[in-house]
Amino acid sequence: MGNLSDLIFQFIGNTGYYMLDYRYLTMLIVGVVFIYLGIAKRYEPLLLVPIGFGILMGNIPVFKGLGLGIYEDNSVLHYLYMGVTSGVYPPLIFLGIGAMTDFSTMLARPLLMLLGAAAQMGIFLTFLGALALGFAPNEAGAIGIIGGADGPTAIFLTAKLAPYLIGPIAVAAYSYMALVPVIQPPIMRLLTSRKERLIRMEEPREVSKKEKIIFPVIGFLLCCLLAPAALPLLGMLFFGNLLKECVVTERLALAARTSVIDTVTILLGVTVGASTQADVFLTSQSVGIFVLGALSFSIATASGLLFAKLINLFLSTKINPLLGAAGVSAVPDSARVVQHVGHEEDPTNFLLMHAMAPNVSGVIGSAIGAGVLWSFIAT
Amino acid sequence: MTGIEAISAHNGWSIAIVGISIVFTGLVLLSLTISQLYKVLDMWEKRGAYWERFKQRGQEAAETPPERECIYLPRDVKESARQCKLLVEHLGQPFSLPKLLEFSDRCGLNHPHSTINELLLAGVIIPDGEGFYLWNDNVEFTS
Repeated sequence: MGNLSDLIFQFIGNTGYYMLDYRYLTMLIVGVVFIYLGIAKRYEPLLLVPIGFGILMGNIPVFKGLGLGIYEDNSVLHYLYMGVTSGVYPPLIFLGIGAMTDFSTMLARPLLMLLGAAAQMGIFLTFLGALALGFAPNEAGAIGIIGGADGPTAIFLTAKLAPYLIGPIAVAAYSYMALVPVIQPPIMRLLTSRKERLIRMEEPREVSKKEKIIFPVIGFLLCCLLAPAALPLLGMLFFGNLLKECVVTERLALAARTSVIDTVTILLGVTVGASTQADVFLTSQSVGIFVLGALSFSIATASGLLFAKLINLFLSTKINPLLGAAGVSAVPDSARVVQHVGHEEDPTNFLLMHAMAPNVSGVIGSAIGAGVLWSFIAT
Repeated sequence: MTGIEAISAHNGWSIAIVGISIVFTGLVLLSLTISQLYKVLDMWEKRGAYWERFKQRGQEAAETPPERECIYLPRDVKESARQCKLLVEHLGQPFSLPKLLEFSDRCGLNHPHSTINELLLAGVIIPDGEGFYLWNDNVEFTS
């Protein structure tokens, strides 16, 4: 009888209900909020739903030694998480992004690429901010990349520079990407006048198929010869795009933009979510990362907008400065936000197509930025 | 360590400045290249036409017209010569001298006989060997 009661007490002691404390409870609520935002509000559901559920999976309190937690060497989640810590998943996601992206508008109006470059100021200014707040250079680099608004890039760089920060940085990066429609519009309205928001863009020229096929090869060579550390990300991005554009590899392009990217997104989302285990995640450092991440994102948006206004001083045919906000590489959300804000002022003004140019150049820019930070800080 | 001191100690300013410069350089380079890409492709696609035009220019250069002879004429004769040329264009080539004289007289040209004589002596009006005359287009007048 005594043995039976011991067994029952042992079982009760090992249940999640018994081990649950306020930290796990907080994280479980965060997970539920993510799932709610993804499903009910449709904020980046493909990311927030897997991450949200991953947060739930990672925050079921388990006793150590059974190989259940993501940070235990012999757990299944740990093996899946190795794709994140080793930097395997982000390039595979870039392959899919490349196979989905149409660079036509960027090829038609190359000037708009500069807006994508300007928005990367957020990365480097936040890097300085993080250093000033006392973060080590490797941590500051990983925090700064949140301003690139590119989840895979943020995860890739953090895996290389500060793997122990992947959880908070990935969650911050994806949260801010999902919250693009909330964060960007006030900054856009604050930094532009109504007159500027009403500017109409010229119709872009038609881009030939040959240009589209040659671009990924030229783009890859130019960028990776300049910043070789960006090779894993940009190599896969341009390769994916070549698969899409060259027509003869349509089957591979289809696989890259559907099954490959979908599988990796599921694994990445769930494991990143699960890495937010309360005892590791809920620290003052994580709060600092979230604050700096928001700052980084805002600076990136503002830099793009202000740079657009600056180049307007030299242009006879002005560009709509709202396009600068699309320089952050949250594809295609920030381009959609530009369209939405422009559309509010003038329902007949269609900016989406034009905003895709700085948007996709932002992806290239943030990958170069990540490569630069990696090469400078890791050496 | 925090603040400006921490940034300086970790070489932050240099990393940030060089970093953003590299990002800009990369995208400016890419932007410049793709802004010229369609022109290069267009040239490549029309390479046949360009080659033809190039060859044509070469031929034109080979067939350069003979150098124009420069002839001195007094100012009043030069003006009469210009009017004479218009009459010749009206008459058509080759033309007969009496017909040119008649037209010159009718049009009120000053001293038509002496003007035409001057043009004959200067080689502006040349005989075609069959009793008619031609206007020499390879001469330029100076006064």
